[in-house]
Amino acid sequence: MSPVPAAALLAALAAVALIAERGLVVAAIAVGLFAACLTAPRGRRWIYLTGTLVSALSVFVLSPLVSHVGTHVIWEGPKIPVIGYLDVTSEELAAAGIQALRLAAVGLAFAAYALLLDLDRLLQAAGFARRSVLAVGLATRLVPTLERDAAGFVEALRGRGVHVDGIRGHARLLSPVLSGSLERALSLAESMEARGFGRAGRTRAPGPPWTRLDRLALVAAVLLCVGAVWL
Amino acid sequence: MALAQVERLTFSYPGVERPALSNVSLQVEPGEIVALLGPSGSGKSTLLRALAGLVPHFHGGRFDGRVEVAGRDTRRFSPADLADEVASLFQDPEDQIVFGRVENEVAFGLENLGAPPAEIWPRVHGALADAGIARLAERRTETLSAGELQRVCLAAVLAVGPSLVLLDEPTSQLDPEGAEAILDLACELGSAVVVSEQRPTLPLERCDHVLFVEDGRLTLDAPRDEALVRLDPAYLPRQAANLSQHGGEGESLVRADNVSYSYGSARALDGASLELRRGEVVALTGRNGVGKTTLAKIVAGLLEPEAGEVQRHGRVCYLSQDPGRYLVTERAEREASLAVGGDLIRAREALARVGLAGLERRHPRDLSSGERERLALASVLVAEPDVLVLDEPTRGVDPPRKTDLVEILLRESADRATLIVTHDLVFAGDVADRVVHLEARELARA
Repeated sequence: MSPVPAAALLAALAAVALIAERGLVVAAIAVGLFAACLTAPRGRRWIYLTGTLVSALSVFVLSPLVSHVGTHVIWEGPKIPVIGYLDVTSEELAAAGIQALRLAAVGLAFAAYALLLDLDRLLQAAGFARRSVLAVGLATRLVPTLERDAAGFVEALRGRGVHVDGIRGHARLLSPVLSGSLERALSLAESMEARGFGRAGRTRAPGPPWTRLDRLALVAAVLLCVGAVWL
Repeated sequence: MALAQVERLTFSYPGVERPALSNVSLQVEPGEIVALLGPSGSGKSTLLRALAGLVPHFHGGRFDGRVEVAGRDTRRFSPADLADEVASLFQDPEDQIVFGRVENEVAFGLENLGAPPAEIWPRVHGALADAGIARLAERRTETLSAGELQRVCLAAVLAVGPSLVLLDEPTSQLDPEGAEAILDLACELGSAVVVSEQRPTLPLERCDHVLFVEDGRLTLDAPRDEALVRLDPAYLPRQAANLSQHGGEGESLVRADNVSYSYGSARALDGASLELRRGEVVALTGRNGVGKTTLAKIVAGLLEPEAGEVQRHGRVCYLSQDPGRYLVTERAEREASLAVGGDLIRAREALARVGLAGLERRHPRDLSSGERERLALASVLVAEPDVLVLDEPTRGVDPPRKTDLVEILLRESADRATLIVTHDLVFAGDVADRVVHLEARELARA
């Protein structure tokens, strides 16, 4: 599927998950998106899936403790200053379940966007504000590069028998990692200029023609949004 | 008529008194292959950047003289304006990759130059095929090895089809076969090629003309045959010495038996074995991606094997690839003292041993690239390890400094076991007692 209709469909699914009131609908969206994410390579998907799962579970566990809804108490906790009683009611649990599912669905939609779409082509399809769009794309790639650089520093120190422990140990790496990333950014800017970036008369490689599936996806995205608002 | 002409070029970087290039004049003819040699920091990269227009447009600084490429004066035409005639390939491919997918990366230059949209994909796929990496078209760039990335960058150059190709140490991360393939591809383009290399054998075998830069001055500008007579012997092509494959007699310090390792689902090392004994220097060679670095990290204790056993005796230190990039403190002596609990006296001694006496209080990032590498070496030598593991220590190192490195390593080699991962077979022949060649998915027996 082309990246633009795919992104539109994912955005529509995330919007429906946020708006829909029926847990079954939200759960169905989350399950569908989870299945889609499982088609991505294991090495790349685990961080997105783990992040989504941990966030959703946190919402499910914490929100009943801080909200005060319902009368069917199923657990009575102590009184905490400011927050009040940490009672958990069945109504709070049901609401927390829906909120957690919503968060999971939105997180999984983002995971599918990051894992499955050709982000290069999606960003280029913007057709305007090319420099800003490219900056977004490069920033997306910066995070894993910084991660790799930081790992390189830790490894270089371990190679000398110096262990990097705790917040203080890692904080010591912040400055060299940032200096290194600035050097990288300069080298990249130089390379881009040497490759003609910024020259007038730029063209764009044509994307693949939209298939029937692409058009269907776009129509489905619109219908999903309209349906969610209407219903 | 010359394709590129440099006339009395003198250039200084901003804030630096001493010129990086002094009164340089030269010509590059269409289709000519030029080997650009010289010590690190002598001005080779600056000269290549001047030919691409990056000096002075990108770097600023003081620029006197004239550089003209394909009839365009680089003072009036920006690097982007010259990009249809001049293409550059730099040392580290990771610093050149813009996009997340290979075919988009190769298309980037064509799009910038305004190639007709209908031509872009055929040219991209043609260039990928010419570079021998058609199978990588859909791959994500972060999943590629350094050698594959360098081929992607070369494919981007091939797609544009420039008149002048500038190669700044493009093979420093590649095994000999990969380096040969990259240079052959570049030389078969039909474009003029100026290639700067610290392993001069390959470019000297292929070039028509040789330039030698020293201290910012062009000290040799001659056809290949004449240059081979006049060049500093350290730069002349030579065969690697034959090395034994039999182990030494000293105390066994590391023994790895049938070790295997995977990164995620990708098998990096499969049943490799290696023994290191005190007093020997072992070169670990093999093609890119065969698992040399993984084995070296297992030997150093930085990775634990999934299968097999490793026994280590004594202290093991490991110096990573491109070590000058991984310096963390703000003074050279502090950097060298990290491995000995902050003992500055031992750190200063170690710095003196690698020729950095007098630079103890300098910030590591203010040192030259060669000095940074020696600082990194001092930072492991200071611990007086029983086992020293060096990963590609000659990357980007010029021939005279390689000779210095051989001397430093051999000076104390009797007290320890040294394992050197390298693609530089000549260096391996100079420094090592024996060689272990690692083959893909086979046992490395030593």
